[in-house]
Amino acid sequence: MRLALAWLILLAALAAAAPWLPLPHPEVMDAEARLAAPAWTQSPVLGTDPLGRDLLARVLAGARISLFVGLLGTAVALLVGVPYGALAGLLGGRADRILMRAADALESVPMVVIMLFLLALLQEYRAELAAIGLGRLQLFLGAVGLLFWLPAARVARAETLRLRGQAFILAAQAGGARRPRLLARHVLPNLAPSIGTLLMLTLPRVVLMEAFLSFLGLGVEPPAVSWGLLAADGMAALNPLVDCWWLIAVPSFFLVLTLWALDALARRLAGPGA
Amino acid sequence: MRLLRRLGALLLTILVVHALAFLLVRSTRGGPFDEERELAPEVRAALDARYGLDQPLHRQYLAALAGLARLDFGPSLRYRDTEVRAILAQSLPISLAVGAGALTFALLAGAAAGLLAAQRGGRADLLLLGGVTVLMATPGFVLAGACVLLFSFEWGWLPPAGLGGLRHFILPWLCLGLPLAAQVARLARGGARAALQSAAARAAQARGLSPGQILRRHALKPALLPVAAFLGPAAAAALTGSLVIEQVFALPGLGTHFVQAALNRDFTLALGATVVFTALLGLGTLLSDLLLARLDPRAEGLS
Repeated sequence: MRLALAWLILLAALAAAAPWLPLPHPEVMDAEARLAAPAWTQSPVLGTDPLGRDLLARVLAGARISLFVGLLGTAVALLVGVPYGALAGLLGGRADRILMRAADALESVPMVVIMLFLLALLQEYRAELAAIGLGRLQLFLGAVGLLFWLPAARVARAETLRLRGQAFILAAQAGGARRPRLLARHVLPNLAPSIGTLLMLTLPRVVLMEAFLSFLGLGVEPPAVSWGLLAADGMAALNPLVDCWWLIAVPSFFLVLTLWALDALARRLAGPGA
Repeated sequence: MRLLRRLGALLLTILVVHALAFLLVRSTRGGPFDEERELAPEVRAALDARYGLDQPLHRQYLAALAGLARLDFGPSLRYRDTEVRAILAQSLPISLAVGAGALTFALLAGAAAGLLAAQRGGRADLLLLGGVTVLMATPGFVLAGACVLLFSFEWGWLPPAGLGGLRHFILPWLCLGLPLAAQVARLARGGARAALQSAAARAAQARGLSPGQILRRHALKPALLPVAAFLGPAAAAALTGSLVIEQVFALPGLGTHFVQAALNRDFTLALGATVVFTALLGLGTLLSDLLLARLDPRAEGLS
């Protein structure tokens, strides 16, 4: 628990300070120092890749992208999911049934596959989308967010149903508050605590999905780096003749430790039994 | 009756996914031949005719629908002179072998570990919980990297990639199955622990039953119920994971073909694979629900 928190704080600090740290630039190649093994106490601390780029610098640059995408993707998921769930819970009855039935239907299709399909198709409209300010990163954020809005919607709905029976909602209703006002003034603010937990539960999944998609070559694009891309590079460089275990081990270590830390914190927040 | 309704819903889902994917592909302006050098108008027309691109949209859709009924998705856009159906037929068994093996491994190893930890308690339990939290946070490709590094290159026990005998499937099963096994272990442990602390289990202990007997009679079913409920999500996770695992181990399964098709703009192949994935996931969910209803009649009322 303390370890998890300490790691996340350290990582966030390192990622934030990365551009000012005394490290080589993550994209600068050095033909003299290709595939150097980690030197631990001096540069290159974590070794270099086949193009001679410093792995520590790259993994920290990757942390910036991975965490950034994770946070924004989570925000997208919650921005879609929470109002949807709250609306379903507040409307109740038939509207609720239809909304939740639609959500169930989405759950029975392989969403990741369909998202990949969509992302591939949208590549055809690269130029037009770029003209309206939508780069690959933005599309990707939207896609990742949309993969995880369903659990958020379910939790928000359950919480809203719980709130709906309570006196202050009834009082507001008796006072003539209409639904939009009820939703904005009374329901959404009271969802805040569970939204905090949701955020922590969703964040590791989004970070993992980013790594997953980037690993497949359908996420973050070079020259930008993310942990998924670094792991893919490491796998590509893997062969039985040249020993370069650090290329796969370093990004894996950062990814696993971060996912574990986020998971541990989320479970602590969600309380025992979760 | 319920089964029929579920099958109907599955069919509807497939139709909707297929229709949406079809519309998206056809409304994409970039045709599959745009990247090639300039084509003579006659050649272009002949190509369009061969792929049915000269027909009005509703005609094209009806043709695609008729194709779907015959599981015929037309020719692949990348592999010339190869039907999507042939590629799917070739890759499906490989993917099924990977997925089924990984799920079986996850169930057996996970349930065994979970039950053992619940029965032993103490240090074994802590060890399991620690392992489970780390494994659950480990993506399949990280496991794959570590496994290839150790089992293939360092010790040379198992082949690092490719298709061959059973030996080639061991690492994919392990890498795809371990994170799922961790979840199964956690669920089984939770169920078994609660059951072992129940009054019935304590009474059995008082009657002098051995720990093994108590486990079998009182804890097995409560431990397996949450596991059975997890089978549907596990199938979905295995499907998603297989996209990466097949790629890493260079297994020419559905996942590899789908990812390559998405990267290479081979939209007919991507469409066919998407439909097959949807059907697979639907059938997997259906089977797990049936199993759950069998084990726990209370679940019958759900959905």
